[in-house]
Amino acid sequence: MNKRIDLLGRGKMSNESFINLSMLVVLIVAFVLASICIPRYFSMDIVLNLLANNWYIVILGIGVTFLLITGNFDMSVGGIIAMSGALSAYFCQTQQEGFSELATGLGMDYGVSVVLALLGSLAIGAINAFFIARLKVASIIVTLGTMSIARGVAEVINQGAQRSAGLPDIYGVVGNWTLFGPIKIAVVIALVLVLLALFVEKKTTFGRRTYLIGANQEAARLSGIKVERHITLLYLLSSLLAGITGIILASESRAAISTRGEGFEFNALVVTLLGGTSINGGFGSVAGTVVGALILGVIASAATSLLLRPEWQFILKGVVTFFAILAQRYALDKRNA
Amino acid sequence: MSKDKVNNMENKGIAPNRRRFTSRHIIKNVYVYAILILVVLVLSLLKGEMFQRGNFLFWDNITNVLRLSVPILIISGGFTLIMISGNIDLSVGSILSLTTVVYAILVRDGFGFVAAFFLTAALGVVLGFINGWLVMKMRITPVIATLITMNVYQGVARYLVPEGVSAIKSDDLHKMPEWIGEFARNEVIPGTGLSWALIMTIVIIVLLVIVQRFTVLGKYVAAVGGNRTAAELSGINAVKVVWGVYVLLGVLSALSGVARGSYLTIGEPYTGAGTETQAIIAVLLGGTAFTGGEGSVIKSVIGALIIACLTLGLKSVIAPYWQSLAIGVVLVLAVALNHVLSKEKLAAE
Repeated sequence: MNKRIDLLGRGKMSNESFINLSMLVVLIVAFVLASICIPRYFSMDIVLNLLANNWYIVILGIGVTFLLITGNFDMSVGGIIAMSGALSAYFCQTQQEGFSELATGLGMDYGVSVVLALLGSLAIGAINAFFIARLKVASIIVTLGTMSIARGVAEVINQGAQRSAGLPDIYGVVGNWTLFGPIKIAVVIALVLVLLALFVEKKTTFGRRTYLIGANQEAARLSGIKVERHITLLYLLSSLLAGITGIILASESRAAISTRGEGFEFNALVVTLLGGTSINGGFGSVAGTVVGALILGVIASAATSLLLRPEWQFILKGVVTFFAILAQRYALDKRNA
Repeated sequence: MSKDKVNNMENKGIAPNRRRFTSRHIIKNVYVYAILILVVLVLSLLKGEMFQRGNFLFWDNITNVLRLSVPILIISGGFTLIMISGNIDLSVGSILSLTTVVYAILVRDGFGFVAAFFLTAALGVVLGFINGWLVMKMRITPVIATLITMNVYQGVARYLVPEGVSAIKSDDLHKMPEWIGEFARNEVIPGTGLSWALIMTIVIIVLLVIVQRFTVLGKYVAAVGGNRTAAELSGINAVKVVWGVYVLLGVLSALSGVARGSYLTIGEPYTGAGTETQAIIAVLLGGTAFTGGEGSVIKSVIGALIIACLTLGLKSVIAPYWQSLAIGVVLVLAVALNHVLSKEKLAAE
């Protein structure tokens, strides 16, 4: 009896820290395995590249993690990435006679066009929120629709191709602002956002309410939490983060491409699940999502180094996610039994 | 006192016989047919060069639309059952792609039609079985489980197509036999435009309607979707029922893969992309509740016809890059319509 009380007491870490820690161990094991199996894998470059190549999935993961904690999906993030890139390009392209249609835009200031592009992203988030929070429609169905709408807007603006001509020089600045080595300003933005998200998650009532809604929506509503407003805010947040990601990615390649971000919604979901966030019970953390993104990064780069065909990444991603879900559930069951 | 009470009940329309005749109920029953007629009428008014022989309602054009939409017609029928059971299967498009590729490989490597047909169907059983296993045995949320298999099946389909080639087709070693297109393209009765694939589609739809309406299985599926605990307490094995529906949907997707492979005469690994979204639209237009428990196969098939007419009609009217936006808008509208028409149920609860 005493022992049991002891276990529940201070000496024991929370389930969340336990999962985070074990996924960190998985990350280290995966990295060590890759370093052993692949010659010249273990280097500073690889570590820096892991950060440089996965920042966008981390930013997307923040919004998706919060939503998944409340039991909702957001499949529209990939489409929003393409849309915000296309909108920001269209608004700031020069207005000149004689240019082809894809090289002429509205000729606005870059700052204004970024704000407008983010507003467009928020509009998609607002559609999601209206149907999911107000009308209580299954989130997967609505966000599949808005995914199609957002990507469709990008395709219509780009006329199925891409906008790369007639862009002002400032368009390419944000995405290519290099600090050192392969590390660009986007990595710093991602880090700041993660720290902010961790603060919100752990230290604010907003964060704790998110968990409560996920654990028991009805109880949350009865204890005075405005569930509708909360989920609305989370969808707006997720689409805003996707919009920011889209603008940075478009800036990085100095072009708005309509296929940008295809499949990112699945990647964001995979890293969130790898990080231990559970769909059925107000459980998870942005810290886990970051670890999940790094695990996926190690696996992807190892697969590329082993000269596997790119198709393997689809299969690997699915299989890894499946085992991660099962292993985490098994570990938690054992621990709490 | 008691008389007042009776009056009250009648005013609120609680008497079950009366509710059948409210205007909303009638609209709910016929609107999907009305939309189909409206879409066809509008498309027929857009006469001109875009349709074969100048008119959407020309018989050749109708059979052409039907032939192209065999997969969505078959899949949306099965998709209805999975939605009624309160689950979802996002992997149908990937199963369609994978089975198209596998069918093309089998045919190219010298299997006869019957062998290739049944081997592909068997693959569908396996793929559906895996979905059901993940959802019902491993208890992974349906959305996540089928998103995983969606990506894995898509990956396998792309992996089976050799590097540097876009689809399974005749190459130096093997030659695709001439008869691969017969199943979906040749007319069974000359002059009607009916192919074997279309006849198979009609038979499958009729069977699905019978299963849903007149068999115990249909009742079980609705019971599980309506209230799983109650269904299990009354002796229904929910695991077996839903697992069975997943297997059924796998087989149906595989059969549509055979039809698609035969129609294209090549094994295209991307051919099924977006089918899950189209199936969801069809089922929602058909009035199936997204919470499960009720729905109708025949209305979903009508919904699938609407989608087929719209996509093919739009393709000939506007530039292809509008397609994605149009699909998204139609899906959101279908969700809204579905919500408005199911309000009655929400109010009653």
